[in-house]
Amino acid sequence: MLKFLSPSNVYSFIQSLIKFINSIFFLILLIGLTFALILSPPDFIQGDSVRIMYVHVPSAWIGLLCFSVITLLSILNFIFKIKNFYLINKSIAPIGLLFTSLAIITGSLWGQPTWGTWWAWDARLTSMLVLMFFYILYILCFKFIKTDEATVKWSSIVAIIGSINLPIIKYSVDWWNTLHQPASIKLTGSSSIHSSMLMPLLVMLLVFLLYAALIFLMKYKTEIIRIKKKNIKKT
Amino acid sequence: MISEFLNMNGYGLYVWSSFSIVLISCAAVYLRTRKTLRKYEQEFLKELQSLSQEEQSKAVATSKIAQQILATNTKTN
Repeated sequence: MLKFLSPSNVYSFIQSLIKFINSIFFLILLIGLTFALILSPPDFIQGDSVRIMYVHVPSAWIGLLCFSVITLLSILNFIFKIKNFYLINKSIAPIGLLFTSLAIITGSLWGQPTWGTWWAWDARLTSMLVLMFFYILYILCFKFIKTDEATVKWSSIVAIIGSINLPIIKYSVDWWNTLHQPASIKLTGSSSIHSSMLMPLLVMLLVFLLYAALIFLMKYKTEIIRIKKKNIKKT
Repeated sequence: MISEFLNMNGYGLYVWSSFSIVLISCAAVYLRTRKTLRKYEQEFLKELQSLSQEEQSKAVATSKIAQQILATNTKTN
């Protein structure tokens, strides 16, 4: 099943994809930064501090997206035993940890001028911190558990338990009275963010997604080579 | 005008710190990932070259990845 996704088949495709992302990345980054730092207007209440949103929000979204993918692939791996999913998850987890940490740090830097505090034990902030701990726990499974079978088992358990936190993060601003503002962008229904701010946000999201894809492909390629290196004498 | 832009109406410290932290950490992760990838590619190549001629040809014939790495290495050299 899913043989076309086997490492050998996707290896040359990965190489081409890395080259493609490398060729367009800096141009899109430049456009994103120009929009975020120069062209987008300051907020009526928050002033120029709102520009932190252009790095904070995409970081948080990618942090959540990575853990959702990890959970989905862990469940599929549990059912179908596809080793490739294990490699994909191993490559995604550090990216998720990076972006979750960046979301917390930039959120803190945004919180100081707007709320007057670097940190509050608010439901959204705390649940994001919990997500970061789950990422750390997940990565530690790969570092400290010796056999592949045990690693798959324990990392999947961590991912599935950690996934309970995902809806908590999403709905924390609705379920509890929090310092953190409710979602301004909705997939269903109208967003409360003006297009002059939505556009730079989407460009920055694209930049972050391309970066995440680039790191994922490089890490996945490393994992493939590591495995092939082990087996080279057996061929 | 530049100092106004850098000051960002008093929020410059927070805005520039946020962007700098993101850019620096992303650059650091990128460089580290690239270094690890290159290290593994070189180790794979060394392993491949340590094989006898016959084993090497067999490995290259059966592994698309070995072919790719060998081809990339030939290009870069």
